[in-house]
Amino acid sequence: MLRSPRFVILAALAVVVVVVVSACGSSSSSSSSASSSSSSSASGATPSVTLLMGTAPDSLDPQDEYTTQSSEVGWITWLSLLSYAHSSSPIAGGSLIPALATSLPTITDNGKTYTFTLRKGLVFSNGTPVVASDFTYTVERALKIPWGGAGEFVGANVVGANAYSAGKASTISGITTNNATGQIVIHLVAPYGAFENVIAFPELGLVPAGTPFKNEPNDPPPGVGPYMVTNVVPNVSFDVVKNPRWAAQAIPGIPAGHVNVDVKIASNTSSEFESVLNNSADFADWADTPPPSLLPQIQSQASDRFSKVPFNSTYYIFLNTKTAPFNNQLARQAVVTAINQEAFSRLGSGFLIPGCYFLPPGMIGHPTAPCPYGDPTAGGNIAKAKALVTQSGLAGTPVTVWSETRQPRQEWMTYYTSVLNQIGFKATQKVIADATYFPTIGNLKLNPQTGFADWNQDFPNPIDFYLLVTAAGISPTNNENFGQVNDPHINTTSAQLGTTPTSQLNSIASQWQALDEYTAKKAYVAVFGYQTFPKFTSSRINYGASIFSPQYGWDYTSFALNG
Amino acid sequence: MSIDAGTKSIGSEFSGEIPPELRGGEGDVPPGIGPYELAWRRLRRNRVALAFGGLFLLMVVLCLLAPVYAHDIAHTTPAAENITGTVKVGGKNEYIVSLIGIPIGPTWHSHYFLGADANGRDVAVRLLYGGRNSLQIGFVATFITMIMATILGIAAGYFRGLTDGVISRGLDVIWAFPAVLLGVALGVTLAVSGIDIGPIKISGNSLFVPAFIVGFVTIPYVAKPIRAQVLQMRDREFVDVARQQGLSHARIMFGEILPNVASTIIVFIPLILANAILLEAALSFLGAGVQPPNPSWGTMISDGVAEIPAAIHLTLVPGIMLVLTVLGINVFGDGVRDALDPKAKVRV
Repeated sequence: MLRSPRFVILAALAVVVVVVVSACGSSSSSSSSASSSSSSSASGATPSVTLLMGTAPDSLDPQDEYTTQSSEVGWITWLSLLSYAHSSSPIAGGSLIPALATSLPTITDNGKTYTFTLRKGLVFSNGTPVVASDFTYTVERALKIPWGGAGEFVGANVVGANAYSAGKASTISGITTNNATGQIVIHLVAPYGAFENVIAFPELGLVPAGTPFKNEPNDPPPGVGPYMVTNVVPNVSFDVVKNPRWAAQAIPGIPAGHVNVDVKIASNTSSEFESVLNNSADFADWADTPPPSLLPQIQSQASDRFSKVPFNSTYYIFLNTKTAPFNNQLARQAVVTAINQEAFSRLGSGFLIPGCYFLPPGMIGHPTAPCPYGDPTAGGNIAKAKALVTQSGLAGTPVTVWSETRQPRQEWMTYYTSVLNQIGFKATQKVIADATYFPTIGNLKLNPQTGFADWNQDFPNPIDFYLLVTAAGISPTNNENFGQVNDPHINTTSAQLGTTPTSQLNSIASQWQALDEYTAKKAYVAVFGYQTFPKFTSSRINYGASIFSPQYGWDYTSFALNG
Repeated sequence: MSIDAGTKSIGSEFSGEIPPELRGGEGDVPPGIGPYELAWRRLRRNRVALAFGGLFLLMVVLCLLAPVYAHDIAHTTPAAENITGTVKVGGKNEYIVSLIGIPIGPTWHSHYFLGADANGRDVAVRLLYGGRNSLQIGFVATFITMIMATILGIAAGYFRGLTDGVISRGLDVIWAFPAVLLGVALGVTLAVSGIDIGPIKISGNSLFVPAFIVGFVTIPYVAKPIRAQVLQMRDREFVDVARQQGLSHARIMFGEILPNVASTIIVFIPLILANAILLEAALSFLGAGVQPPNPSWGTMISDGVAEIPAAIHLTLVPGIMLVLTVLGINVFGDGVRDALDPKAKVRV
């Protein structure tokens, strides 16, 4: 390091060189990927396309994954008994279809018993035949690893699942299977309207019995689906290639796919979007926001392969209701009153739709009433918020704002920290790496005060969002109710509304609206908008044919090259 | 070979007589002149080194004047955000941050002289405050390095045996990790948890955290050469005499040996300072140094990377400031080294 003074001088000069080179170097460095993809196409083999992810999947093991990037891969690699239609339409794409089951389930016993029949002749990607008991094994594996949603979605609903999870039973008593007939019967503790959606989770995608009860992200287990995952290099790349055994199974409604997908983890959003703009990669991560400085270029040079698409998502600031100052409603109201959603929108390249309710606009139950603490498009009211903080008697309270490094999330929280300081708190920002952010703030011992959070729907039912603000969502690790909201009215009402099947949600829309208005009045979370997402591809991709699923984003089975 | 190979002991027990290796061909040295006086004379003749020393001083003064610039000229603070506001440029009101998030470029007026960043903060103000933070961390880190390295190096060389073994292996462990990698690992951990050792409690957002990290990872680079020098020195006559007079170990180490390694320490100070400023910038660039919203040149470069296509000045300006500062102190440091050891081969 200290070889000589010249070394340090050279290092200093290198800073300038790096800055200049980084401004113009990415296109040449990454162009090889496009050429390699083209060559495979020319040779007659299945062509490959390159998809960039801004954040690495949390895991590529179906019973451990739980982020948008991993679910996007999971739903076409590890099919469960049910899945979703392959369509960009919010309604059609949110419709359940039978996948490994022959049909949608028969529901009896007042919504407490679900009966499925497994299709015949199914095989995993390694050739092992699928039997009904593999489903039980898969659910057990999800409970033991455990998958982040296992407790809320399976443990709380399926008879005997919690006992199995706690080691008090050798199997899940509420699931019975018959390998000869393929029948699978699931008994619930109580009716749960979204249980079909739970069954469709990629995290309950079947794996062969005998797959180790441990997370295997680098050597994912075989599944049943049009694709399979190979060549995993952690945090760098992996390949999603066509499953050669899929063609013989031909499940209606689930396409076989046209191309293999080379997934690469992008180092930053700028290089990610630049690579797609200059055609050295084919797909940008839909969950990322294009940097403001690139947006004009993208809109002018690639308007035929770029659009903003809606997706049911809520971007919000969690407020810890168990710790000062946000255990005080006036302090929470002050935050909601002070934040300027126009500022959030500009920092997010204009991709945010303003709003104040926890349920996003596309979700049944999204309220139509005016926001309780002022029009979100009118700009924050700092003076009023300051008065609320003074009234609460909590002025000067130290507040730590947690944030990811990823643009624009860090910038959002930098702005929010500045707002907190303006209204009378003593706020500091704590920025941690994207990969460890949610596990860190999801550790209940840390008891984070406030910070960034978002939620993209798992399934089109408000109960999916309300798990984030009910007692059921609080857990020691992988906690998702970051604000530890535990309001008896929300707990009981959401549990009661949650018994209505997803297909009948319209009948209780007004009750969900009333509950969401109540949540907004209590200011349990400070919503700062609903994100729209970039659908952006290279020019060699058939843009019109590329499906953007309202459940999982990119649908790899729809990817095709032009011509 | 590391710099210690070329940095010879030049104190020579302060006998008053100039050792031949220090005369550097200067046969006209007046009798009785001390080695430091001689070095000072040599340094004054090195105009290049003095000019770059002046450049470094100018940077320091500019950064120290940050509050004056912010308060009396720009009328803002380094953390003040104005995302939805406007500023008058050429008689027209322009958004400080456009509707799609592009910050305004240099206005060349008192407000937003060098433009705004993504959060609508004045870049010129943040540049000066960032320089203050970078320099502050550099100085504190250098202080930590020099104090710890001097104590450990002298103790290891003087006591030898088990003490030397323990200290040297400890230094080897630190040395075994690339400095940036070790710095990032420590930075990420301490940014979350801060420092909490007994009565010492430091928040993860404190500037002392990156200063401590930078100072810590650099200790072996100074401690090892000092140890090597002390190993040679501990058997010299003046140390034997001190022992025979019954002086304590501490007195011998810090009263007798320390003055004789002082010149080596002096040569290291500017090098370590320059290195500390660069390492801080690298750590902050990687998110493991100064925590937002505090600015430093490293964080400013990092924040500006995403804006390069539309606002390259956001990375270029702090980069240039960093280069000029490090260049200034390095060339000056090289001049100091030449002055203290004219036989050194490395010259700028």
